[in-house]
Amino acid sequence: MITYAIKIDDEACWGCRTCEVACMQEFTLQGGVRLIKMEEEGPAMKDGKPYFLFRMNLCRHCDDPPCMKACGDSAIYKRGDSIVVMDYDKCTGCRLCIDACPYGSIDFDETAGTAKKCNLCHGRVDGGLIPACADNVCLAHCIHFGEPGEITGKIEKQKLIRKGLSG
Amino acid sequence: MPEFTFSNTAREIEYHGFDGVVKSHCRMCHGGCGVLVYTKKGKVAKISGDPACPINRGTICSKAMASAQLAYHPDRLTHPVKRIGPKGSGKWERISWDSALDIIAEKILTYKESHGAESVVLGYGTGRENEAAIYRMANLLGSPNVLTAGHFCYGPRIATSIITCGSNPIVDYENHPKCVMVWGNNIVISNPDEYKGEGFSSAVERGAKLIVVDPRLTRMAARADIWLQLRPGTDTALAFGMLNVIISEKLYDRDFVENHVHGWEPFVKRVNEYPLDRVEKITWVPAEKIREAARLYATTKPAGIQWGVAIEQQINCADNDRILMALMGITGNIDAPGGQVLFNAPKIRNVGQFGAHKMLPKEQAAKRLGGDRFRLAGYFGIINPKCVWDAVLEEKPYPVKMMFLISSNPVMTRANAREVYRALEKVEFLAVSDFFITATAELADIVLPAATWLEMDYIGDYWKRHGYILPRRKVIEVGECRSDHEMLNDLAHRIGQGEHWWENFGKALDYILEPMGITWQDFKKMDYIRGEVKYYKYKEKGFSTPTGKFELYSTMMEKWGYDPLPEYTEPVESPVSTPGLYEDYPFILITGRRIPGYFHTENRQLRWMRGLSRDPVVEIHPGAAGKAGINEGDWVKIESPRGAIRMRAKLFAGMDERIVSAEHAWWFPENKSPSHGWDESNINILTDNSYDSCDPAMGATSVRTLLCRITRDENQGEHS
Repeated sequence: MITYAIKIDDEACWGCRTCEVACMQEFTLQGGVRLIKMEEEGPAMKDGKPYFLFRMNLCRHCDDPPCMKACGDSAIYKRGDSIVVMDYDKCTGCRLCIDACPYGSIDFDETAGTAKKCNLCHGRVDGGLIPACADNVCLAHCIHFGEPGEITGKIEKQKLIRKGLSG
Repeated sequence: MPEFTFSNTAREIEYHGFDGVVKSHCRMCHGGCGVLVYTKKGKVAKISGDPACPINRGTICSKAMASAQLAYHPDRLTHPVKRIGPKGSGKWERISWDSALDIIAEKILTYKESHGAESVVLGYGTGRENEAAIYRMANLLGSPNVLTAGHFCYGPRIATSIITCGSNPIVDYENHPKCVMVWGNNIVISNPDEYKGEGFSSAVERGAKLIVVDPRLTRMAARADIWLQLRPGTDTALAFGMLNVIISEKLYDRDFVENHVHGWEPFVKRVNEYPLDRVEKITWVPAEKIREAARLYATTKPAGIQWGVAIEQQINCADNDRILMALMGITGNIDAPGGQVLFNAPKIRNVGQFGAHKMLPKEQAAKRLGGDRFRLAGYFGIINPKCVWDAVLEEKPYPVKMMFLISSNPVMTRANAREVYRALEKVEFLAVSDFFITATAELADIVLPAATWLEMDYIGDYWKRHGYILPRRKVIEVGECRSDHEMLNDLAHRIGQGEHWWENFGKALDYILEPMGITWQDFKKMDYIRGEVKYYKYKEKGFSTPTGKFELYSTMMEKWGYDPLPEYTEPVESPVSTPGLYEDYPFILITGRRIPGYFHTENRQLRWMRGLSRDPVVEIHPGAAGKAGINEGDWVKIESPRGAIRMRAKLFAGMDERIVSAEHAWWFPENKSPSHGWDESNINILTDNSYDSCDPAMGATSVRTLLCRITRDENQGEHS
């Protein structure tokens, strides 16, 4: 079976936060709830050079998701295409998944009283649409959706191109 | 595997149950991006980028997506109102468009009669593609006074480029520059004119060399091959240093210099006054780094300088622009594919013609406020704002009685905000057109409800210099809101200008397009029109300047009595120019770094945007913060000789310890009192607007670099 992932090439990200708002638009999220959010690394000196990087934090759709194990309500499941989905109808708001996620990628929606996370736009994917944040909104073209191996290859190739090591 | 394609409109419509999609052209900043606007039950439901648009190639920014939140915001003004209490009382009554425009028309005609047309000032803020219509009305009225941001934003690039080489040189991202030098600009976050961040980003991703000139560490600076971390306000000196290297090492384009520039010898003489050791002392940038950057920029072809507004909001405004053009010129990058191109506009009636500048009688033009003092600005119809405040407050050189501000919030965005506020309090009649009753509009007599870009037909990017025009197609109507163009067209008929305007503004679009033999209805069916793309035009026709050459030595500046060559001036307030003041105000304050989601004062009402940045932020180096007892997230007091404001501290190690960096344009629309907290965190409470602090030719105010003191605020409570 085909599997899907989103991978963000952090080296290319400029921190414009458009993907965050694309996600808000898709799910009409209240301002505070984030399924994808920008985090800053640095400023610092690294290898004698100034270092400052943006990293987008969103659900990694783990192979063996700790959140799924932590959820006592079976509200989180992993699909055959490897997308980890949280079913908000089943979520009772116990927040155990939030504690279990090693990446801090699960948020809590105070209005709805449930946890919320990136479900990789599984509805869009089933409808043949690219997830909202990856659907060509990003001016750096650094959000990649597709088969994990393929997009990792794309990102690795792009790293060489931007260093002038490959055409 | 299903076929996934970007921006699959058919599936998008099916999946969300949308009614359909309209292609249009966003204007959440100055305009620029082609967009797809999806609707559901007649309302805007989703906005995404149009992959067919050459400006943004399908990509988009956060503001564009929030456009529907703006259009449908519950606080939005959707009908004209008239103030019924004292100024600033927040007491309004609804009136009809007819009444509102009749009142404004009557005031215009009365003041013209009693105090001359010059006593009526029309104004706009940053470029919102309504400028040509506003100038048209002012010129036909006989008022030489149009108050804009043009003295310190983009206007200087237009003015200085026209006198130097005939037009604004635009980085030709479609032909992939091999080196980009970003100077005082954050093109990936901000609201660039012409091309958007996508073209720049793609150039870097293709391996273009990157040089970044910025006192702060941005992501661009972190990625740069060379980051020139200059002392704020010393840009001209830094450019002199680079020119010194390029000239002494003979890295310039010989043919260009020998055949196409004016004033090479005196220019070189001036450059020689800036040896690298001197430049290092002025700029804090190590000489070797300057040398390395100069070599990289001059020897990597084609190269472009991505310049931004930060270099213009200084006393060195015009000379910063001119000296960067000197770099572009002598390296042979002007009009080179992938370099910086003087693009041809499509053959339409241009903004200059539409603005009816020739209709302004000479004797009225001679009355332009500040025209004698700021002669470069005056020549281009641009005025310095303080000239207007003084004309209101002191009635010198003559009284200004009425102002009509269209999409402008000057109590937030112009230097010395308290003086601005006093002037707007005093002016006899103030009309405002805006989306909301802003802090400025609270001082108005009449406020008109302006349409957003979603509610208008227009020729997008009409005034830009990349050579494109793109149709902005009306998608929705909201309340009684009207586009500024329609409003002005209606008002024009009421002040006796009917013969120069149209039955409706749609006909004006036909008039603009007429030379191409098409109408608005034809253009609406097209994606865009681009002027003829030609490179190296100067080789046949020379440059459109008095000498026909690229004027390193400006004959126009000389004629106006200015130094014909660029020269470095120390910032008005700095450790060097005002050491005494520096003892009391021991930080260099830089202002206006761009943050995603906001466009100057706009969008703080929109929950998605406010969700990105809730509070006004001042960045301070952790070392300096430690000494001052300031912790991450503390409310701090920032003081200048003009006043004090408060912001939240963010500890940021990406700049020199002697610098702090504050955001601009912060007010609190959620504060429902008529003040809307306009003076709590407004950076312009701190800035200076005295004439001597402005660029002597352009009248640019020095809002970007000043001195300040910063302390932990005793009051750690939230803003009002």
